[in-house]
Amino acid sequence: MKLDMKWIAVVVVVILLVTATGAYLLLKGEEKQSLLLATTTSTQDSGLLDYILPYFEDEFVCEVDVIAVGSGTAIEYGKRGDVDVLLTHSPAAETAFIAGGYGEFKKKVMYNNFVIVGPTDDPAGTSDSTNASQAFLRIYENGTAGNVMFASRADNSGTYTKELSLWAKAGLNASTFSNDWYEETGLGMGDLLDFCEEKLDDNEYTLSDDATYYQRVEQGTIPDLNITYSGDPLLFNQYSVMPVNSTMHPHVNHTLAVGFADWLVEQETQELIASYERYGHRLFFPNADGYVSPSSLVVGYVGIQTLEPSQATATQLKETLIVENARALVRCCE
Amino acid sequence: MISDYDLVQVTLLSLYVSGVATIIGSAIGIPLGALIGLKEFGGKGLVKTVTFTLYGFPPVLSGLAVFYLFSHSGPLGFLDILFTPTAMIVAETLLVIPLVTGITITSVVEVDRSIKDTVKALGASSRQSVLTVMREAWVGLIMACMIGFGRVIAEVGAAYMVGGNIDGKTRVLTTAIMLETRMGDFEWAMALGVVLLAVAFSVYLFLRLLQEKELL
Repeated sequence: MKLDMKWIAVVVVVILLVTATGAYLLLKGEEKQSLLLATTTSTQDSGLLDYILPYFEDEFVCEVDVIAVGSGTAIEYGKRGDVDVLLTHSPAAETAFIAGGYGEFKKKVMYNNFVIVGPTDDPAGTSDSTNASQAFLRIYENGTAGNVMFASRADNSGTYTKELSLWAKAGLNASTFSNDWYEETGLGMGDLLDFCEEKLDDNEYTLSDDATYYQRVEQGTIPDLNITYSGDPLLFNQYSVMPVNSTMHPHVNHTLAVGFADWLVEQETQELIASYERYGHRLFFPNADGYVSPSSLVVGYVGIQTLEPSQATATQLKETLIVENARALVRCCE
Repeated sequence: MISDYDLVQVTLLSLYVSGVATIIGSAIGIPLGALIGLKEFGGKGLVKTVTFTLYGFPPVLSGLAVFYLFSHSGPLGFLDILFTPTAMIVAETLLVIPLVTGITITSVVEVDRSIKDTVKALGASSRQSVLTVMREAWVGLIMACMIGFGRVIAEVGAAYMVGGNIDGKTRVLTTAIMLETRMGDFEWAMALGVVLLAVAFSVYLFLRLLQEKELL
């Protein structure tokens, strides 16, 4: 008899769980057509996707499901056909992805900036380097001399890929570095910045994307960590969009994936990306092929106005540019 | 930052995934543990050692195994359940089974040793004696469920790997905590941790009352 009562209790647990599930499903609402997007943590964590995706969801009457992982993982999901479209920042891996026939095409979308961060007094002297690879060379020289340390992501992230390419540009091979000064952590970007702050006594440097750096500054967790070098085009971090090949993986949502890729490189979307600010800084700089920034449009318009039609032809102004100039003019008049 | 995802939904999904994984894991693990504990067979010691070894099975490996299984390029890809709560339940169940099996073995062996002769002397059939042992091992069996539930409600590696932490679909409390931490919203992450503990507290209160037979 007692055992029966226990089973009743177990049934009660089950009913509770089923109720929870039911409530959860009700809250979930009705299913719309959905697009599965694999992207890097930076686009989600910076808040950019929350800012731009609602416009796409409205226009295409759909839902975008975002899976934010490292670029390497995202590309692997794409190869296996587990997602519909990729937005990543790992140029070499993207080229291999397209060459392997895994993607429909690749389009440039935007870039953000990497920065070298370290102690305020910059003992490695990176700040007056002529370029990023020279800054890295100085860290290497001071590192092997025991003056500074460098903390590496040492994972499959786009940031790590960029770091390796910078060492290579400086003529160095990171796999030969001694762990006396070169620490391979396997941490995410934010955690790595906190790590460097904790180890500032060791004069720890690292490479970070600027968005994560500004975020941690705003959070107040890295008061003594500064940007010691930035601005070299070598430190641009290019994001591209690639729809997964629907011939190879027929179940992917081809229409929405291609629609999304085309939408990202449209002038309006590019301007939307340019208008996004967080932590008091612009984080992403659109650079799709054919994108013209609003400020250059105004300059362009003034230029055309002062030219004779024949001269305009001579300067080989693109037809599209003229159309965009007209739009800029309208915007100016408003 | 106040995140725009639905906390209630995230909490319910956590409870749902962990709850169902615990129930299925226990439904498999308890009979399996009783079988291993009470039946004599060759290689029993090895089977027990392997079961206890699997206590240390890394969640992210369970996630990876389930990912390969349900990936579109994997053997069960046609089911189309990768990045859904169902895939999360499968991965979490794999983590629950060894724990429940192992604790059940320990509990029934303990009880069996103390009452076996008495039960035999009273002339019970072997089926009756197994039922008696299970009834006496009740406290240990509920403890097995508790520990199994504890492992999966707090687990993040497998949930992230096969769920994908998709807002409104597969985001659970642990993956939300991970996301907030990554975004630097440490206070919000801590608050979510408190919610998770509150959920665990309610479940454990219920299970403890069940264990001590105070509920009924």
